[in-house]
Amino acid sequence: MDSGEGAVRGVFTCELCELSSPYTFYGQKPPNTRGIVLLEECYGMRDPFSPEKEKFLVLGSKCCLCNKIVCVGTECSLFYTKRFCLPCVREHLHQFPEQIQTELAKKKPTQKS
Amino acid sequence: MSGRRAEPRDWDWNSPRCRAELDHIFFRQHDYIRANSPEHAEFWTFFERFQRFRAKRELSGSSSSRGRAEPQDGKARNRSGTGGPDLGLPKEYDARYRISVSVCSRDVEDGFGSSGHRRSGGESSGPGREQVSECRLALLHFLDFAQKQSFSKVLKLRREQRNLPIFQYRERLVELVRRNPVVVVAGDTGCGKSTQAPQYLLGSGFSNIACTQPRRIACISLAKRVSFETLNQFGSKVGYQIRFETSRTPSTKLLFLTEGLLLRQIQQDAALSQYQVLIVDEVHERHLHCDFLLGVLRSLIARRPDLRLVLMSATINIKLFSGYFNHAPVLQVPGRLFPIQVIYQPIPPEEQVSKSEKLDPRPYLRVLQGIDQRYPAEERGDLLLFLSGVAEISTIMEACQTYATHTNRWIVLPLHSTLSLTQQDKVFDIAPPGVRKCIISTNIAETSVTIDGVRFVVDSGKVKEMSFDPKAKMQRLQEFWISRASSEQRKGRAGRTGPGVCYRLYAESDYEAFAPYPVPEIHRVALDSLVLQMKSMGLGDPLSFAFIDPPPTSSIQTAVTYLKEQGALEARGELTPIGTLLSQLPVDVVIGKMLVLGSLFSLVEPVLTIAAALSVQSPFLRSAQHNPDCSTARQPLNSDLGDPFTLLNTFNAWVQVKGERGGGSRKWCKRRGLEEQRLYEMANLRRQFKELLRSHGLLETEEPPAPSAQGRTERRERLTERSRLYQLKREHELQDGGRRKVLRLDEGQEEESCSGSDNEGSGSGKKDKNSMGRDVDIQEVKFKLRHNVTKLQEAAYVSADLSSRQLALLRLVLCRGLYPQLALPDEHNSTRKDSEQVFHTRNKQGVMIHPTSVFAIDPEVLHVSENETGEFGADRGESNRHQLLAFVTLLETNKPYVSSCVRVPALQALILVANSVDSNADCTRLVVDGWLELCVSDGEAALRALSSALKLRAEWERLLQAQLGHTGSGSTAGLGFSGPKPGRRELEKLAEGLVRFLVYNEVTYSLRRLTALQTQNLYIGPQLNPELSLPPLFPGMKAEPDPVKGGLRVTSYFTYNCLCDSKDLYSECLRTFWSCPHCDLHMPLTPLERMQHEATCRSAEEQQPEDDPTDDSPQAASTSALTRLYHCDLCNKDLTLTSTQILKHKRQHQP
Repeated sequence: MDSGEGAVRGVFTCELCELSSPYTFYGQKPPNTRGIVLLEECYGMRDPFSPEKEKFLVLGSKCCLCNKIVCVGTECSLFYTKRFCLPCVREHLHQFPEQIQTELAKKKPTQKS
Repeated sequence: MSGRRAEPRDWDWNSPRCRAELDHIFFRQHDYIRANSPEHAEFWTFFERFQRFRAKRELSGSSSSRGRAEPQDGKARNRSGTGGPDLGLPKEYDARYRISVSVCSRDVEDGFGSSGHRRSGGESSGPGREQVSECRLALLHFLDFAQKQSFSKVLKLRREQRNLPIFQYRERLVELVRRNPVVVVAGDTGCGKSTQAPQYLLGSGFSNIACTQPRRIACISLAKRVSFETLNQFGSKVGYQIRFETSRTPSTKLLFLTEGLLLRQIQQDAALSQYQVLIVDEVHERHLHCDFLLGVLRSLIARRPDLRLVLMSATINIKLFSGYFNHAPVLQVPGRLFPIQVIYQPIPPEEQVSKSEKLDPRPYLRVLQGIDQRYPAEERGDLLLFLSGVAEISTIMEACQTYATHTNRWIVLPLHSTLSLTQQDKVFDIAPPGVRKCIISTNIAETSVTIDGVRFVVDSGKVKEMSFDPKAKMQRLQEFWISRASSEQRKGRAGRTGPGVCYRLYAESDYEAFAPYPVPEIHRVALDSLVLQMKSMGLGDPLSFAFIDPPPTSSIQTAVTYLKEQGALEARGELTPIGTLLSQLPVDVVIGKMLVLGSLFSLVEPVLTIAAALSVQSPFLRSAQHNPDCSTARQPLNSDLGDPFTLLNTFNAWVQVKGERGGGSRKWCKRRGLEEQRLYEMANLRRQFKELLRSHGLLETEEPPAPSAQGRTERRERLTERSRLYQLKREHELQDGGRRKVLRLDEGQEEESCSGSDNEGSGSGKKDKNSMGRDVDIQEVKFKLRHNVTKLQEAAYVSADLSSRQLALLRLVLCRGLYPQLALPDEHNSTRKDSEQVFHTRNKQGVMIHPTSVFAIDPEVLHVSENETGEFGADRGESNRHQLLAFVTLLETNKPYVSSCVRVPALQALILVANSVDSNADCTRLVVDGWLELCVSDGEAALRALSSALKLRAEWERLLQAQLGHTGSGSTAGLGFSGPKPGRRELEKLAEGLVRFLVYNEVTYSLRRLTALQTQNLYIGPQLNPELSLPPLFPGMKAEPDPVKGGLRVTSYFTYNCLCDSKDLYSECLRTFWSCPHCDLHMPLTPLERMQHEATCRSAEEQQPEDDPTDDSPQAASTSALTRLYHCDLCNKDLTLTSTQILKHKRQHQP
């Protein structure tokens, strides 16, 4: 591995959409960064589209309700003070503010299994 | 940005000062985003948008009672919700709750309110608490936005990967490779095999994977794509390696490289232990290297059971590959092509033309018209038209262009490898709405160049293909019907981006009659380099090598014979020291020879340039030839010595321009109609040659300059410059590809017409759109990174400033390198038109000079003009100025053409380089290589010339062998041949001798080609006369009766008195009195005895002891070499004598 790239710690796979990618850190502190704290325990890697080594990319984390590992894609999860996978959001939809409810309602027809 | 909030009175978000103050809080040196970085600039742009957005929202939000008023509702509803745990979500919606990042900035570190405190301090009204939190909010949104952006790229990438047909076969492929040493993956265009298969293997734990490609450019673009797809764009896990460039590092796990390069690596390490998996892509293309590689790998697999081999092919002839590897399992993957409608439109007989005529454009125009009628202009889709060659392209282009101008619905663009790269690049640009591109291409667009957006394909069904005629030693570019496989490939070009149509300008029955596959390259080309490489890899007899599809035996035999003639193989077919060296050089044997020969004399710099220039495509654009401005601008570069010298001048002049004006060279090239890319390639190749020569000990290693204060400053400057250049290169690499520009309607019209012969060089000018950056002259940057321009300039000075003597020697070196590629001007050329000059080679009569050659423009320099012919022999064509052409290529298109020619003095060059020189008894008649006859009326002069040539050749050979023998370090020959390196004095003396021989020849002679009848009765044949077996004549050489030709074989190349017209077989009678100019010998001698005396009798000057300390060859050795043990049968004594002394001794016994 290139220096600074960080060793691959494993392969992150979203349990909903099966998106997978190797990840190089897990936690709230992306490596080589100062002043950045993540508000959840994340799977992340170096931002593959940036030439700078310390730029990071969060791939996903665990749903705070069901503990499923999900990616941060809008089809799979959302963050609202905590990470929720969409199935859990739907289950507790009434507890979410209206903005999110309408957002999800819009999404439904196009949603893939 | 309105005053909706309480801002400090002098606070202005747009003021740089205010922003700078926030920068001190959020964008410090060690923060995630640093002030003055690109992201920092992006942030402030984002910030402005963000504020505008919020302002707008606030306006609409307050009027529509959303936003602040709402949460109460939400809260109420939350409460009324049924069951489930309380998630503890905030009651009021705020977009910031959706951001999962927090930032610790200076104000946080310092403790809240510090900034506010500072502000109350009075002097500076810095940002207030509100400004800080506003900026923080924007920053959080910015970071979130950046995350979303990157993540959606990953998502899109993964989706595309999953949609590829091969994705379904991922696990199966990995499983097959795990279980089998060889696997064949067969999949058609668009199935994703080239990009995905290596990734699947990499992802499932295989490492050290090499993937070969037939084209260099594919290595680069695949490495780029795969590293992007594996999210390793900025790492070096995935790399490429091509001839002059590599991105490989020790951490590279997947390497794309050319077939040729992998073969070179096998030459270094036969076990290829650095790789675990080898993927050979595009095996169906059947390139020479690929076929050979497969053969080598087949035997390697047996020796390395851990090695995995994956062959990837289109679904063509899969059985062949599977069968060759012991019925390896095949994984067949469907391609992803849209349906293509095939329309057969055979050309009606009245529109068909004979070979010599121009193509009739009507069938092609009909297709264009048909498209215009049938498909609305709004429906996009371009047309790709396949023709066989450049002349055909320009004919059809002309007609299509007229039609395009008339309709305004087409932009006509040519595509072939002799176009400039900028011209070629145009085919990737986009036509304006309502207009289609009509790309008229050679078969370069069949595999090498892929153009998206093609909906219509017109297939002429023809291709021009190179073949090799071993009898005439000539390449031939001929037109053929294509194969069914090619036909399908061309058709497929219409269905890459949507459903398409393919018009075939031949009948379905023609299609059925096509050969199933194209003829593999190994059956079409000269195998010299291949055989040489096989020899150096120790693969035994090339005839018994198990090729997948063995080339004709005669083809291999021709190559072996040729290599023997060239001195690369000895009689038993083993490599000679020079052969070993040549096998390491990635060039034609003749070019390799030039390099080796040039390194002997101090001609390295010009020879390096010439060898490089002759190994790349010509930098002179054909299209510019008819442009008078270009011709005028080129004029000073032309050399009447020959094309290699024009190339040398051009390169040198370019390097000077580079040194003086840097980027200005682009314009300089344009004015002269030069393709600068070729000059860059020459510079790279030149450097590679230099390194190769150095590593073989043929070139002194450069001494590092003594460290001086000045040197240090220079070095530092150079380092600074280099890091600046690296920065530029990096920036260029980050610019993702080039944006395609929109073509103008008149784009095609400025096209220069291209006429002349067609030459679609295989393996040249191959590229795809990824390679063509614009704007930054990245080539200039790379050039400066790779080369020390000052050094190159010095080298250019050296070779631009050659004396006429050095030039003479250089021509001889080129001639010896190119030998036996010689052409004789026809004797009647001076009475012919310039364009009708005729030449003859040994195996081919009546060849022409290629119109690009300097001798086509100025053939007079080759004529023997009237006043130059000797006073007495004018009518017999006698002169001392006869010349020959040494040429690089002989290619037959519509006529046989020689190109890249050098002129050399005939007699001198022939007796110095030819493999066979035969003479009559008094050496007034010489026959060279059995086809050229030289008649000298002055026997004395003939003898003098022959004798000194023999001496010079022997010395040249000796020094060359010494030089080669000295190359122990790099070569693996190990022939125990490690004499002393030739001394500088010796070499200078030899050079001096050669030049004198070349320049001051006063021998008048006639020169002609022998007729077939004359060649039949050329030799007297073996004689039974014991008198002829004279004692050995030259020290270390034996003159024996030649068993075939008759006469006496004096050296390996010179046979004396074997020509049929010999006046007397008993040459003793030819004794005439002669006095040696060097010693006091005066006696009647035969020509042979005289030569032999001259060879051993050194001039007084030469006999002086050599006290030059730089000369490391001991003088004792050279004198002792002259004497040898002689046993006289008559007096029965053993004597140690020189040859002259032996002669004298023998004379004693005669009555």
